[in-house]
Amino acid sequence: MNAIPGRQVPRLLDALLGGHVVFAPVRHGRIVAFEPIASGSDAVLGCSNSTVSPRHVLLPRMETLLTSCSGDAYARECTCPDSPVVLFGSRPCDARALTLLDRILSGGANRDVYYQRRRDLLTIVSIGCARPLETCFCTAMGGGPFSTDGSDILLEECEGSFLVHVVTERGRALASKLGVCDAGRRPGGATAAAEEETGHPAAPTGIDPGMLKGSLDASFDDPVWRAISERCIGCGICSYVCPSCHCFDIVDEEAGGSACRKRVWDSCQFASFTEQASGFNPRPTGASRYRQRIMHKFSYCIDDYGMAGCVGCGRCVTECPVNLDIREVLKAFAARGAL
Amino acid sequence: MSNADMQTGIREEAARLLAEGRVDAVVGFEEGSLPMRAAPCFVSDPDGADRLVWNAFCSNNLSRYLRGSDRRLGVVAKGCDTRSIVELIKERQVARDSVVVIGVPCRGMADPRLLSDKAGPGRITSVEEAGDDLVISANGGTITVRLDEVLHRSCAVCVRRNPVLSDVLVGEGVPERPGDSFGDVAELSSRDAGDRWEHFSDEMSRCIRCYACRSACPMCYCTRCFVDDTGPRWVGRGTGVGDVLSFHLMRVMHLAGRCVECGACERACPMDIDLAALNRKSCADVERLFGYRAGLSPDAPAPLSAFDPGDPQDFMLEPGQG
Amino acid sequence: MRNPYAPIPMRVVRNRLETEDGGIRTLTLSFVDSSEEFAFEPGQFAQLSLLGVGEAPFGIASSPMEPRLLDFTISRAGLVTTELHHLEQGETVGLRGPLGNGYPLEDLRGRSVLVVGGGFGFSTLRAFTEYALHPGNRQAFDGLTVVYGARSPGLLLYREELAEWGKRDDIRLHVTVDKPDDSWRGPVGTVPALVRGLEMPRDAAVIVCGPPAMIRHTLPVLAGLGVSPDRIHLSLEMKMKCGIGKCGRCNIGRAYVCTDGPVFSLASLEALPGEH
Repeated sequence: MNAIPGRQVPRLLDALLGGHVVFAPVRHGRIVAFEPIASGSDAVLGCSNSTVSPRHVLLPRMETLLTSCSGDAYARECTCPDSPVVLFGSRPCDARALTLLDRILSGGANRDVYYQRRRDLLTIVSIGCARPLETCFCTAMGGGPFSTDGSDILLEECEGSFLVHVVTERGRALASKLGVCDAGRRPGGATAAAEEETGHPAAPTGIDPGMLKGSLDASFDDPVWRAISERCIGCGICSYVCPSCHCFDIVDEEAGGSACRKRVWDSCQFASFTEQASGFNPRPTGASRYRQRIMHKFSYCIDDYGMAGCVGCGRCVTECPVNLDIREVLKAFAARGAL
Repeated sequence: MSNADMQTGIREEAARLLAEGRVDAVVGFEEGSLPMRAAPCFVSDPDGADRLVWNAFCSNNLSRYLRGSDRRLGVVAKGCDTRSIVELIKERQVARDSVVVIGVPCRGMADPRLLSDKAGPGRITSVEEAGDDLVISANGGTITVRLDEVLHRSCAVCVRRNPVLSDVLVGEGVPERPGDSFGDVAELSSRDAGDRWEHFSDEMSRCIRCYACRSACPMCYCTRCFVDDTGPRWVGRGTGVGDVLSFHLMRVMHLAGRCVECGACERACPMDIDLAALNRKSCADVERLFGYRAGLSPDAPAPLSAFDPGDPQDFMLEPGQG
Repeated sequence: MRNPYAPIPMRVVRNRLETEDGGIRTLTLSFVDSSEEFAFEPGQFAQLSLLGVGEAPFGIASSPMEPRLLDFTISRAGLVTTELHHLEQGETVGLRGPLGNGYPLEDLRGRSVLVVGGGFGFSTLRAFTEYALHPGNRQAFDGLTVVYGARSPGLLLYREELAEWGKRDDIRLHVTVDKPDDSWRGPVGTVPALVRGLEMPRDAAVIVCGPPAMIRHTLPVLAGLGVSPDRIHLSLEMKMKCGIGKCGRCNIGRAYVCTDGPVFSLASLEALPGEH
């Protein structure tokens, strides 16, 4: 079978629950988030994308790294649960973002073992985007509504069913467990007609990542950053909903004889992020911190990891409480670069 | 007066203030980049005043931008925004003579999430105003709703829609809401403790510790928030219910007597948590104990900063003593 | 897979006072597991870890030629450093390292090397000087000049080593203080002033570590001596947490101070965004 009828998805998820923890989109009141489901019918697949990204599946918002109890001579490492995990219903942008996190956290001279352990146990089943939102700009950032980057299996809606595109060996293993196989077609073909009809909102004009980088690199000291970021309140929501942000803080806690070291998400948008013990802060203003976000994502990441730190999911556009629209910032810089 | 007329009035006032050099910039709203959004903006020359808009989506509390400003600012302020300005002046975070308040009476702002609920599945392409109604364009058709049906929670229980102070007033006053406005607090308080615990644990289970509530709040201006202290560490940084509730409850305590119920916190929250409920309980308590409601009177001293021998002391004395 | 967040258990061998004001102490640590293979280069640092309290980064101050005993010089500033100051002989502390890039030995070899340090910043410069003076290494360097200064004699670090070095003829040592006391017999004046009076070959390499003010005034002197910016090596300070290039905190431009630094040439620093 190379397609899964839509109404059979809950049953399929129930079957997966037998041997896996399954993260799927779940509705909580008015928001949608990726959470572990207890039953296949909990998953909601009709929305275009979740409010927050699924990156907490690999980089939890809070994770205990080390722990010790009274009597322990030394700290003990914490191990994450060892059951296999399936991330179901992520979008191609989210899966692609995880390939960047792989480069940052699993790459380099030191491998983040906590991230790697979760990575080794994770299979990603994404659903391609037949109806991108107007806030999506994945295509401009090198992805696309049917990109397979980072997914193990990519599902594609087609007349009430999901065509199966097997992408990796890990995907093939899961597919055979589910009794499905590759559809043998190029992902995205089924919706080509619909694309032509509605146009492709996922590719706003004016954002060319290469031209953008050059323009940004030349604009570091430009006073325009103050005007661009004037409305920013430094709340950090953009970092928290982003699928490719990775900054974290490490905090120690002690209570009643036992101690632990945790890591928690953090954001370069917070003033305290770079503040040194002496009180000196290399990024003392909101404008300097907003500049760091843009420079890091659209210039430094390209230098260090070969891809931009943004996959164009548009969540920061939707969730920013003051409507500071990153697309407008990028278009403005890309336009300067063209001059 | 319609929002369109108010918009004209705001533009005229802003242009005049800038042309006369009375302010360096005017903080107001401009057209958002998405449907159902208006974005805070800074206009610093008279010609730029044409960017300013006034509509049912001007919900941000702009008084937040007055803190620590190195410029003389004009600010477009609704009733709740002026309440924040009153408190910020009391706490010496804003100098009265360094701001020009363009007061705007407000009928309430629309909640985009409620509008999306009304529109059903599919994308809203635009929302236009027609008197007291909003016309939603979605899925190739339109739906008309009354503004009253889709107000933000904070607007639905607002007790001060007209500016408390202003240098310039745009538009006509709007009638204030009659009756006891802490009905929501009374309802929640009447539930038993187990129910309340379950309600708040459930709401807080979504908290991702992003601190947007803190950043959006006009009264949270500490340069070093208690959350960032390490010696001692007052509250854990984790996402477990204990740490999360501790953070929010501590923030409520820090806002006691200062929160003006503007709702900026819950509007900023990306996880749609009912944050204002806890703050409103504290506002109700402060009103009951001290007869004070933040931001409504520029002259009334802040209750937790000023001691009056008549203040109730039954938290530490038996009734009848002292 | 080795866990880079898990500290190596260390035992405190010695905790000695360095400065008479009590603000700086040096811990000497040994490995609890003596089979632990640890090697480092001068200029690298390590995170010292007290679980439940926190971690802080410190330059390794001892000679890389004797990696079984590590020295860390700690200036008391906050929670972690205060707890470290209180450690007694025999107590344990965690260590994560070696971290960072160290001084560029390949660039320094074959040249005359000038070491310029001020106050607390001298810790990794001591590691380098011990390395350079080691019999197997000394001939790799054409010349070795060390300039070290502190506000007063009581604030000088490593006075025993300074005395030993002063007796050698394969190192030109200049120690200066801003304010002498009654027993001080050495030069009086700032580090930059002393450096100005030196004769150095044009292709000399310089490593500088000290308070921002000292560095600010020393750099023009070095320029005046004709030293090119890619031969001047500095240690950059940024707030750090993970120390391994993952948490993002020390990111500046395309560099992470904890992995691409903390040692940067002046030329590379000038190419980074001006946020430091």
